[in-house]
Amino acid sequence: MVKDPILLACIVTVSLPFLSFLTIFAYTRKWERLSCSISIGAVLTSLICSTYLFVATYHFTEPLQYSIPWLLSGKIIIPFGFLVDHLSMLMLLIVAVISSLVQIYSLGYMAGDPGFSRYYAFQSLFAWAMMTMTIAPSMIQFYIFWELVGLASYLLIGFYYEKWSASQAGKKALVVTRIGDVGMFIGLVIVLLFYGNLGVANINSAAVAQKIPATLLTVSAILIFFGVIGKSAQFPLLTWLPDAMEGPTPVSALLHSATMVAAGVYLFARLFPFFMGSHTALQFALLIGTITMLLSSTMAMVAWDIKKVWAYSTISQLGYMVMALGAGGYFAGMFHLTAHAGFKALLFLCSGVFIHHYHTNDFFVMSRQGARGLKVPMVCMTVGALALSGVFPFSGFFSKESIMVALSHHPNKIWLLAGLFGEILTAYYTFRVIFVMLFPKKIEEHGHHQEEHGGGEGVLYWLMGWPLIILASITCVLGFFEKQIEHYLLGDYMLAHAHVAEAAHGGVHAITIAAILLVIIGVAIAWVEYGRKGAAQEGFLTRLPRLEKLFANRWYMDHFYRWALDTFIYGGFTNLFTRNDRRVVDGGIDAVCRATEGSGRIASFLQSNMVQYNILVMVAVIGFVALSFWG
Amino acid sequence: MNSLTFYLVIAAILFSFGLFGVLTRRSLIAVLISIELMLNSASLNFMAFNKFVAPDTAIGQIYTLFIMGIAAAEAAIALSIFLALFRQLRSINIERARELRG
Amino acid sequence: MSHGVLPQLGFYGLVILTFSGAMIAVFPRNILYNVLGLALALSGVAGLYVYLGSLFIGLMQLLIYVGAICIAIVFAIMLSRPPHIAKPKRKTSKLVGGIGASVLILCVNLGIIYKTAWKPAAERHLDWSVKTIGDFLLTKYVLVFEVISLVLLVAMLGAIIISRYSGRVS
Repeated sequence: MVKDPILLACIVTVSLPFLSFLTIFAYTRKWERLSCSISIGAVLTSLICSTYLFVATYHFTEPLQYSIPWLLSGKIIIPFGFLVDHLSMLMLLIVAVISSLVQIYSLGYMAGDPGFSRYYAFQSLFAWAMMTMTIAPSMIQFYIFWELVGLASYLLIGFYYEKWSASQAGKKALVVTRIGDVGMFIGLVIVLLFYGNLGVANINSAAVAQKIPATLLTVSAILIFFGVIGKSAQFPLLTWLPDAMEGPTPVSALLHSATMVAAGVYLFARLFPFFMGSHTALQFALLIGTITMLLSSTMAMVAWDIKKVWAYSTISQLGYMVMALGAGGYFAGMFHLTAHAGFKALLFLCSGVFIHHYHTNDFFVMSRQGARGLKVPMVCMTVGALALSGVFPFSGFFSKESIMVALSHHPNKIWLLAGLFGEILTAYYTFRVIFVMLFPKKIEEHGHHQEEHGGGEGVLYWLMGWPLIILASITCVLGFFEKQIEHYLLGDYMLAHAHVAEAAHGGVHAITIAAILLVIIGVAIAWVEYGRKGAAQEGFLTRLPRLEKLFANRWYMDHFYRWALDTFIYGGFTNLFTRNDRRVVDGGIDAVCRATEGSGRIASFLQSNMVQYNILVMVAVIGFVALSFWG
Repeated sequence: MNSLTFYLVIAAILFSFGLFGVLTRRSLIAVLISIELMLNSASLNFMAFNKFVAPDTAIGQIYTLFIMGIAAAEAAIALSIFLALFRQLRSINIERARELRG
Repeated sequence: MSHGVLPQLGFYGLVILTFSGAMIAVFPRNILYNVLGLALALSGVAGLYVYLGSLFIGLMQLLIYVGAICIAIVFAIMLSRPPHIAKPKRKTSKLVGGIGASVLILCVNLGIIYKTAWKPAAERHLDWSVKTIGDFLLTKYVLVFEVISLVLLVAMLGAIIISRYSGRVS
């Protein structure tokens, strides 16, 4: 049938999760074992195919593109196809690995949930959408599947739909990302109008700068960046991600740490040559990334819900990635995306084990109930935390170092200082969690949870345990593959930025040493406040209650949005429509009724048995008729 | 005095008075009075036309006689009806008789 | 009639009499005033008939209208006096309607009067004597004459019956 093995692998990778989604949704919802087998089978096959693709195209130098005309309308042709180049293969591999690990983990986590089949159907939907989006050759296909990813996110966040907060969170996620997507769509339309073509390779080519005037290029780049802001939860659209923690923890691990929110960064990297054409857009991206990174780090410092801490951390790390890309560090951003996918998914999955065990999200409560007794998750979480903080030899250290180097190449050093300051904050809030979990003030001797789960040695436990171990191992060794990945990514991207890659290891050691020192300082502060014996386990922020309140309320962003929504949309816009509906539409119909009634009432004077009125009317009519013969 | 239009104008004005009375008065007898005025103005018209314009002899006068006769008959009947109504309603207010109201 | 000053003055006096009688017949709210005003107006009209050349008709007018009909109306007034004299306010809408309609009809009539070219007929007979009237009543207009008497008979009968039986019923 299909001769080309690469094309075949692409088709299989993309279509199997889709078929799995359809099958589960339509047919096998009653049989849970069958549903999960179909889904996991599909995603594992996709994993195998994407590994094959990665290996097969490892030495390719030119991107490979397959496309067929999908929608035809006159002279407009919308293609559907696959773009096989190093960036998309790397991303595809990341998505496939994390999706399969999370789906296996979910066997343990979601066991016993009434919506088990529905969960796996949506997981397959997500896998399909994300993978097709990753290898899309044209921005239209990219956009379509970008929106489908958003849909999957909505469905999965609102999975526990009977809970009011969950359905609200799903709606909020969809609406907020949609706002970003509107900007992205307008940007794409501008490019389409002026350039005529939305192929990724075409947009990235140098011809774009000739056809589109510079200001429009900047405008469209910034508008497309809005899509990144929405999807990757940057300032000011970052409030949906913490609320998205209402979904099940594996969903948070897959979507909201590793893959979906990384899609924004992936878009940025995909269109990187396009963005390079506009210096203003890159500055804007840098600014937004920095603000996001600092803002969400502060929010993470006061959270008591473990998932919220990791959510804010995700936003912060995405800010780092955007900063790196904004400063021109293409490899740095993508490398951090890869490393982050690994350790953030690890952190979420470990937290999931704790949440599943102790039925609470509050890590103070968890630690008091003896969370450190669960060895595998605790160790893996510590590994993930070390990677997140950027401690040698974990992957986070290498990726953060490359980000700092990229930032240092920017003429304005303030971004570098901001990045370094963020390192302290990251280390502080991460180790706050770890120390509280490791060194609780007192362990309550309830212990009934442990008895319930029989010490936690069942099959379910190990179903959740093995993905943790795999991810932790990846986190340990990924950092040492930095050189290979760099060569892999930048090999087919021979622009002037090659000199950045070379200069990266030309020995900007001062930054590395500064970063290590800052991390140690952050960990030390956390240790002093939370870790050592007799520590009060209260942050320094409790002595600054106003600041603490500011951070805890997400810098009042949600309040602002609520107020803006109420005032402008509900108060202004929908108020207008409501008034129109009541006064104009209803009022019109009422007026017709009243007019009929009123005119009837007026005309009824002739029926009131007053002869004189009748005579009056008669005479008047005769008079008017006679008048009409005047002349 | 010797022109047709003068008499016709007088008759028209009398007719308007009568019409006003018919439309406005509340008492039935006042309505009857107004109707008599109107009839008289019509008679005046006939007499004036006969004097100045019409070819037949004395047709206006005969007409006036007939109108007088009819007016008398009508007044008789109307007054007896008013009496009957008065016995029912104890009033001859035209606005009180409302049984046929729709 | 003749064109002397006195007849002219008399004519205008009669016209004024007629109009004032009509106004008294229509505007005041007291029924007796109205009846008396009607009598006055009809007398004025009788005078106008005399000026139009028919003494007979003028006398007939006085006899029948003023002498019979107005008296009958007075009788009816006396028989149907309501026990309490209530004078409710006149409704403005009725008043406006009445004034409007009468003004309208007046304008229409005046328009017709002044716009028509009144041409006297080719041959005109000016025989106005009582003898001619009598002759015509019994020859040319005998049907109408008989019918009038029938109408008067029926009217008398009807008036008697209505007055009698309505009393019985109530």
